[in-house]
Amino acid sequence: MEQVEVNPIVSIKDIRYSVFNQGIQYEILRDISISIAKGEIIVLLGSSGVGKTTLLRIISQLIIPSHGSVIFNTQAQKNQRLYGYVFQEPRLLPWRRVLKNVLFGLEEMPLKKKDKLKRAEEVLSMVKLTGLEHRWPYQLSGGQMQRVSIARALVVHPKILLMDEPFSSLDVLTRAQLQNNLLEIQNSTGTSIFFVTHDISEAIMLADRIFILQGSPAVVADEIQIDLPHPRSKTSKSFINYSLKIHQQFS
Amino acid sequence: MPESKHKYFRITKEVGSIPLKVTGLLAFLLLWELLVTIFGNARTLIPSPSQIMIVFYTEIRSGIWHRIVFSSFTNYIVGVSAGSLLGIACGVIVALHARIGHMTEYLVRLLRPIPPIAWIPIAIIFLGITPISASFIISIGVFWVNFFATHSAIRGVGSELIDVAVVFGHNTFFYKFTKVILPAALPSILTGIKTGLGQGWMTVVAAELFGIPGMGQRMVEAAGLLETRVVFVYMFSIALLYGVSDTLFTFIQGRLLQWNR
Repeated sequence: MEQVEVNPIVSIKDIRYSVFNQGIQYEILRDISISIAKGEIIVLLGSSGVGKTTLLRIISQLIIPSHGSVIFNTQAQKNQRLYGYVFQEPRLLPWRRVLKNVLFGLEEMPLKKKDKLKRAEEVLSMVKLTGLEHRWPYQLSGGQMQRVSIARALVVHPKILLMDEPFSSLDVLTRAQLQNNLLEIQNSTGTSIFFVTHDISEAIMLADRIFILQGSPAVVADEIQIDLPHPRSKTSKSFINYSLKIHQQFS
Repeated sequence: MPESKHKYFRITKEVGSIPLKVTGLLAFLLLWELLVTIFGNARTLIPSPSQIMIVFYTEIRSGIWHRIVFSSFTNYIVGVSAGSLLGIACGVIVALHARIGHMTEYLVRLLRPIPPIAWIPIAIIFLGITPISASFIISIGVFWVNFFATHSAIRGVGSELIDVAVVFGHNTFFYKFTKVILPAALPSILTGIKTGLGQGWMTVVAAELFGIPGMGQRMVEAAGLLETRVVFVYMFSIALLYGVSDTLFTFIQGRLLQWNR
């Protein structure tokens, strides 16, 4: 914990966000502050519509906060990006084959073609999609599409991976596979992950720390450190205890 | 892969239905031939298919058909190309710039309902009885089809795809337009071009009715002499040319949109 506060890779400070509708101001986020350390998995947990995606869009600079700042205490190296983004839906570009979708983030980087291809092959292997490079998105299952989306985010060698409920539309078995796959990838790359979900089990399964976003306007209602070794079992006593604690928070 | 299997069945079904389609067409032609043989064509002026074929052959042998079809085809290509390119370009600009969209909205409403044929007198006055006049008339109908198809296609590209470009650092308008907006809008733009190709053939005859060399002129001349066989020859010529151009374009469209299943 101490290291996290001293040397965070990303600092989200006092974020507030409001929207105006017919002249009326609606405050969505209030005073959100979260620090993310290198290699850490932070899960932002909250019910649907609370403002989780809004916070992620602020971190990725898709929208500007009304107040506060997002500071990246690190610089992207050459041919690297600060963050990779995985959307809730895969959002693959349907006119590009799998390989070209993965290469999308590298297109304006001054890398040689063979290096780009090497990177793409590496990340496709990480997400276990080797051999499907030349398929069109419509030829993939939902889980495979989301794997491509993860590969596309990883190929830019991000300092942090921003993930917006990426497994929420998948069946339970595929979701479990992808959670394990994500942990393997995090283990091998050391990338920090900021993961948004409304699923308590998923949060405990993945997180080093969980931030609970609640209320209207949403505030960080609680921060929970998950001290469980990987692989985590949903049936273990400590897992269930964490789950009960979080459920209590929501009730 | 299940999709290949699906495609296989679709092709098989298509190929399997060809004999039925040919039978239907042949039955119609036979019935037509029979009716003309029974009732004769002196009173009705309707020639039989075999008579049309003979005249068709004569027109080809004399070289008239080539010359006339070439003239019409040139008018058509120039008109369709100009109408499509301008329609797509204007559709893109109006869709991307809200202010231009507002500025042109009432203008579009004013001009759109005017049928291409209504421009014929204006074309004659300003461009004369020349092939350019015919191309101009053809291009008007094609322009609107492409303008509206492109406009709605570009407006329909969701911000979610543009967000993908932004989060991966592709922030320039040029990149977003060429790599995301245009490919996403391509299916509808191509549908617009295809509709425009058909629209062009519909207008080509009307555009040539006032004396510009081409199929329209030949049909009017023949009709004046009650040579309905010649009229039918060129009616079917248009159908044939439309069928060829439509098939070719459908093939190109299929190649370009392999991803769009």
